[in-house]
Order: sequence, then structure tokens, then C-alpha cells
Amino acid sequence: MPIKRYMDRIDAIEKVLGQAKYAGDIHIEGMLYGVIVRSSIPHGWIKNIDFDKALTYKGVIKILTQKDIPGENVYGIIKKDQPLLAKERVRYIGEPVAIVLGEDESIARRASHLIRIEYEKMDVVSDPLQSMNGGVKLHDDGNLLSHRKVIKGDIDRGFRESDVIVERTYRTTWLDHAYIEPEAGLGYMDEKGRLIITSSTQNVHYKRNEISRLLAIPEERIRIIQATTGGGFGGKLDMTVEGYVALSVYHTKRPVLIRFTREESFLSNTKRHPLLIHYKTGAKKDGTIQAVKVDVTGDTGAYASYGSTVCLRVAVHATGPYEVPNVYAESRMLYTNNPVSGAMRGFGVPQIAFAHESQMDIMAKELNIDPLEIRIKNALKRGSKTATSQELGTSVGFIETLKAIEPFWKGRKKSGTRGFGLGSMFYGMGNTGISNPSSARITLTEEGKIALHTGACDIGQGSDTVLLQILCETLDVDGKDVLLVRADTDLTGDAGSTSASRQTYISGKAVQLAALNLRAYLEKEGFYRGRGISEIYRSYRDRGFPPFEGYFDPPTEALDMDTAKGKPYATYAYATHMAEVEVDRITGYVKVLRVYAAHDVGKAINIKNIKGQVYGGIAMGIGFALMEEFIPGKTESLDNYYIPTSMDMPAMEAFIVEDEEPTGPFGAKGVGEPALIPQAAAIANAITDAVGVRPYELPCDLERLKKLL
Amino acid sequence: MERLNIKVNGKDYELQVKPWATLLDVIREEIGLTGTKEGCGEGECGACTVIMDGMAVNSCIVLAMEANNREVITIEGLAEGDRLHPIQEAFLEKGGMQCGFCTPGMIMSTKVLLDGNKNPTDEEIRKALEGNFCRCTGYTKIFESVKAAAEKMRGEI
Repeated sequence: MPIKRYMDRIDAIEKVLGQAKYAGDIHIEGMLYGVIVRSSIPHGWIKNIDFDKALTYKGVIKILTQKDIPGENVYGIIKKDQPLLAKERVRYIGEPVAIVLGEDESIARRASHLIRIEYEKMDVVSDPLQSMNGGVKLHDDGNLLSHRKVIKGDIDRGFRESDVIVERTYRTTWLDHAYIEPEAGLGYMDEKGRLIITSSTQNVHYKRNEISRLLAIPEERIRIIQATTGGGFGGKLDMTVEGYVALSVYHTKRPVLIRFTREESFLSNTKRHPLLIHYKTGAKKDGTIQAVKVDVTGDTGAYASYGSTVCLRVAVHATGPYEVPNVYAESRMLYTNNPVSGAMRGFGVPQIAFAHESQMDIMAKELNIDPLEIRIKNALKRGSKTATSQELGTSVGFIETLKAIEPFWKGRKKSGTRGFGLGSMFYGMGNTGISNPSSARITLTEEGKIALHTGACDIGQGSDTVLLQILCETLDVDGKDVLLVRADTDLTGDAGSTSASRQTYISGKAVQLAALNLRAYLEKEGFYRGRGISEIYRSYRDRGFPPFEGYFDPPTEALDMDTAKGKPYATYAYATHMAEVEVDRITGYVKVLRVYAAHDVGKAINIKNIKGQVYGGIAMGIGFALMEEFIPGKTESLDNYYIPTSMDMPAMEAFIVEDEEPTGPFGAKGVGEPALIPQAAAIANAITDAVGVRPYELPCDLERLKKLL
Repeated sequence: MERLNIKVNGKDYELQVKPWATLLDVIREEIGLTGTKEGCGEGECGACTVIMDGMAVNSCIVLAMEANNREVITIEGLAEGDRLHPIQEAFLEKGGMQCGFCTPGMIMSTKVLLDGNKNPTDEEIRKALEGNFCRCTGYTKIFESVKAAAEKMRGEI
């Protein structure tokens, strides 16, 4: 059944008027501005810091260092290994050392340049392979952050029984989220002495927890509110400005705003992990894949962030959306003195998709099989077993995505240096093999509205609208009957972070369950026979309402530590993209002309939002494939870190496949990351089709492609 | 400090500004109109686009004093009371934004385009928005919004 209640974005009106308040737009009389002083070297001991000139600069109120942290000077989403402010040692260029607080932003910024830090330089580990071989130890427990294996069947037998073996090495580099809104947050103490922080973020409850530890004050003394957020893509999951704002307010008792410049954003935010991928595929003559062996080495930078998540996700997704009987996938994350890598749209899967989709095309060519046919032949379907030996029961619409693309693939006309390429993917919804619940609560208001309280952060993707739509659909009410209370630790329960394409699927389900509870109550109270919410509210106010709550934790099973056998995700999204490119042989310039994208989303709740995500994912995939490359110490502005502009965009068409997922709300899954994942792979394959040379390294920019040609 | 005379959204201001203050600083910090955004501070991303004497400019790299005795329009100056400007209506109806941070700049660049060209081609739209980065939408819904805005301004819808 289609979703009956379509809703346009609820935030659009304030955004077109310029009235949406992002964190950096908030002004409180008497507020201070904070600027972070960062390490200029990648590795060394801090011998001395000279604050004298900065402290006497007119308008400087205070300078804070690690000594001023009352609680534990350490944070991290999974492994707590990152100091908020460097203790005695710095491990990467840009590591925060001090906070300068001034009466205005330019004072704080000028004073921050007057601080002199003396270092005793240490040997630098700039490569994960070098890190693995020892020498310099970056953390007390060694340089290996994480090492995971996915093992299925008998890999040696798989290759023995293969007729053709394809073995290649792929490389990717650092990417920056480059959301248009740099990180920002404002904090103050309220009249009761509670610490209130409004920031640009993807998760409010996690940040409250970290600040509680840093300041050694109980969580109930802290309130985190999400401001309108100008994009996230994973980069606003870790602490960005919040810890610095909290510490500054704690010491000054005054409101404090910290907003990063673009340069600070580049220096501070976590990057997409550069991966080195050795990939070996074995297949029978008829194209049936027999064996996949993958060895991945990743550079996680100076601190853990989401490194272990990416490590595991890459191994679990190493085969791509194909059923492979014999798998040996191994993935390692090494610490280096490079920028911290963390979460970025897809958690390593866009990188591994570049490898598995290139392998698929190389194998197709070796065997003289059509690239679409070889994908269909090996496709995951109902009853298939994934590399973690999970049997797929429901909602496996992968083949349908290939079928949706088939007419365009069959109708392609190759000419000159024009080429066509396919890219496919699967992607597990939510966190990997661990509990990752969401909750939702509904209240009635005296004015007659139904209020949804959700901790889910809308970072621009549109969860506010989708969650309200699910509420309306479940209750059979209109948009004008409902209102939203969003992402505020005082007013909303924990919905988990906006990541892993999980909010529509998991928080959406929590909303649906809460709404079903309310619906049963409203039916009893005569709402569907015409009794209004105000009346129901007034007649029951004094007795108190039963809680209308919903809670959903997708059914997963922990993975075996040695083989990763288990059920890492309750369900997966599937997609296929087809790209048409034209290559200029002389300059190496690649123009993406056209992209068709088919996505199995389970059930489309909001078609406009889904298409927006898909087109945005294609754009980011073009950046990943052709132009984006963060080089530490070099690309710290949008002047030399290139992201796709309006001139780079192809003609695009998105197709929606709906293979309903029974555990999701109305059958829905997620699409945020899947939108990006197969795009770079499709472009790489199209380039090969166009000019006969294959990129093994991304981005395939002018220089790299010219070298190949 | 220098004296700046500037008209913003039809209102005259006489301000004392630091010689190095940018037009963006003045709009956001002195006048308090925060609809205009800073995305890069160096004229690359276009989030700070405003209209100065009919031209789209990156207000983050225009010195405030360069705007002396000039007229500036920001995103807050488009709607008339409760009535949205047709471009705002079009972005609203077509859903031409996601996170919305680039939207004010995008709308201001669109206004300059459509004020000078009532019926732009697809290529002219792309070209006009080349200096306005969007990281969320892939630009499609933005192009659709611009086209719809052009139709509205021609009185076709």
C-alpha cells in the first residue's frame, strides 16, 4: 500500500526566508567568542607554551588548557583515546592545545596567533604500513586500533575450483565532508546553573554524556539542543565544538560562541579513511563467483573516532551485494600522525564498493560476460547467505534495481571516448552487530495538537518531515494536527545518532509504535468519532495521560570475533547506478553526462526526500571519483579542495524499488548512504569503458588519468 | 573606525565600522541580519551572496567600506510582509534545499539571474549558480526551483 499522507519539508519556509537559526546565528548579549589554538606539527612533546602576549591582549578574557579540565580529559565515540586539549604530547597537525576567549571573535583570533608553543619534535608515522611495522608507538596499547576478519567456507578450495582469478590493488584517499555550514555551537549557564549548549550536531545525547565526563558534572545538569544543522555526513557525530564551549562556559560563567572557519573545519573534522585494498576474486567460466579474498589496510590517523566501525563495516561489506561461498576478508586500522579519520557517509563502504565493482567488471571482461549479467548471476536474493553467513529472509530488492537499470544499459550506444559503467552496492541499516535503539514519545497539548518528541537530529536530510509523516499516517491525521519537538536532551528521549542510514528505519519505527499506542487510546476516547484533542486533553489532564511511547532496536546478533559469523544488521538496502561519461584524452578531463540510479528503499515514505538524497549522493560520488582529495597541510580551503558545483552535474534520474522490510515503518529502510556508495565505482567502470584504461586509485583526477592515458 | 552609509533592504544605516570589517560582518554582526551565511570566508562557496547595486557579490570578501553609499539586498529583503518573493515560493514548492545553509545565497544569485534574464536556459542557470556550492541536493531541485521561479516571474504559473 502506498503512503497516503505526503508532506513537504516542514523546515522549508524558514529556510527560504533566511530565518532558520543555525548555531552561529544565535546572539546573546555579553557573549564571549572562543578560538582554538592548534598544533602546527604532526608529532611532538609540548615543552613550553608562552601565553604572555596573548593574555595581555586587550579584550582577552581567559585562556584555557588541559589543566583547566575538571573531569577526564578524554573522549571518543567507541574508544576513549582522544584528549579534548593536548596533555603533554600532540599527535597530528591541528590537534587542539588551548582555547582563547575574547570579547569578540577577531580579538580571540588575533590573540590566538600570539601564543607560542615550543615542541620537542618526534619521529612521524605518516603511513599505515610503516605504523604496522612498529618503530614509533603512537598509543600505549600500540598502533593497531582494530583488526577484523570475515571468514566463510574454505577460501583455498574456492580459488582451486575457480577457472579465472582476478587480483588487483586499489587505493583511496582522505575526503572531507565539506558541509557548507562549518561547525558551531553556543553555550551558557541558565539561572539554575545548568549548562545549556545549542550546536550543529548529529547526536545530542552522546554529546551530553561526553561533556558530563569532561566537566565531572552529572548529565542532568547539562542540556544539549540541536540547532538547525547545515549538513553533517558523519562529520558532526564526534565532538566538534561542544567540549570547548562547555569548558569555556564552565570557567567564565558567560555565554560563549565557538564557530569554526572553513580552515578550522578542514583541520579539525574527521576524514574519510584512506584505504589500501588488495582484492582477489575467483570465478567459474560461467561467471559464478567462487571465492573472494580481501585485505584492507586503513589509516585511522591519530585517534580512534569511528575507525573500528569502518574497519568492521568494510570487512562485512567486502564481497558487495553478491553471494560468495568462500570468503576471507581481513581489515586493519592503524594509527598514524595523520588527520583523524572517522565517520563519513558510508563508513568505508564507498571505498570497498570501488574495489568490488571494479573487480566485477574486470571479471566480466575476462569471461566475456556482460557486466549486468554477471551481477544478476551472483546477486544476493531471498535465501542467500551473506559473507557473515546471515540468511537473507525479507526485503532483498537487489535484482530489481538491476532490472530497473537494464533498459538503459541495453540501450547504451558507445561512441568515441564515451563510456558506460555500472556500480552496485548493499548496505546494512544501523550499527554493526550491536544494539542501536531509538525511542519516541507523543504528548497531547491543550491547544489540540499531537506533539511528537524525538531525539533524532535532522541534519538536512529530512527526518523531521519523514517522522511526522509516519506519525500522521499511523494516526490518520493531517500535518496541521501535529507538531515536532526535536533533539533536545531535556525534552526528547535518546534516538541514537543520525548516521548509518538509520533514522527513517529505526526512529521511524519507534514513532510508528508510539503512534499505535496513542491510536488505541484515541479510538477508546472517541477521537475518530469526532471528539477533539483539546477536549480529550482537558477531560483527562488531572488524571495524567498514559505514556505513548515507542521503542525499536533492530534485531541483530553479535558477530563472532574471529570469523564475524552472525547477523550484523536486521536488513540491508540495495542499489545500482549507471554512469555515462565522456573523457578528454588530451587533458584527462572526465565529464559525467548522465546517471541512472535505482534504490531498494523498502517503502518510499517521502519520494521527494529520497530523490534529493539520491541526487546529492550522486554529486558526492562524482567528487569522490574525480576531484576530491584532502592533503594534510595543503588543502585547507574550498579554493583547493574541490567539491562538485552546478557545472559538474550530469542529467540524473532516480528509480525507487520497494521490497518492503517487515520490521521497518510501513516497510521502509534507509537511503542516505546508499545514495553515494555505488557512484564512484560506476564512474570508474565508465572511464574504463570509454578509454580502455582502468583507474585503481581515486580520485581519478586530471593528473592521475593523464598518467594512465 | 570609519563611517559607513549603507542602505540595506530599503533601510538607511549610518554605522561606525572597523576598516577591515567585511560587508558580511556588517550585515550579520552590526545590522543583525543572520540569513546571510559564512561558509568559507574567501569567496568560494557563495553562502554569503547578497545583491549590491544589482550585482551578486560574495559579501565575505567585500570590504564594508566598498559598500559605502551603496544599496544592498539580503535574503531578508525579498519577502513583502507575509508575501514571499516568487523565487522563495518556487524554492519552497520544489523543495530546492536540504540543510538550507546555501539557500539564502542560492536565492540571491537566482534573483540576479532572473532580473536580467527572464527565460534562462539550463546552461545559463548552471552558470549563474556555479559560485554557489551545495553539498546536499546534487543541485537538481535547485535547478527546478529556478525554472519554476522564472515561470512565476513571467506570470506563467
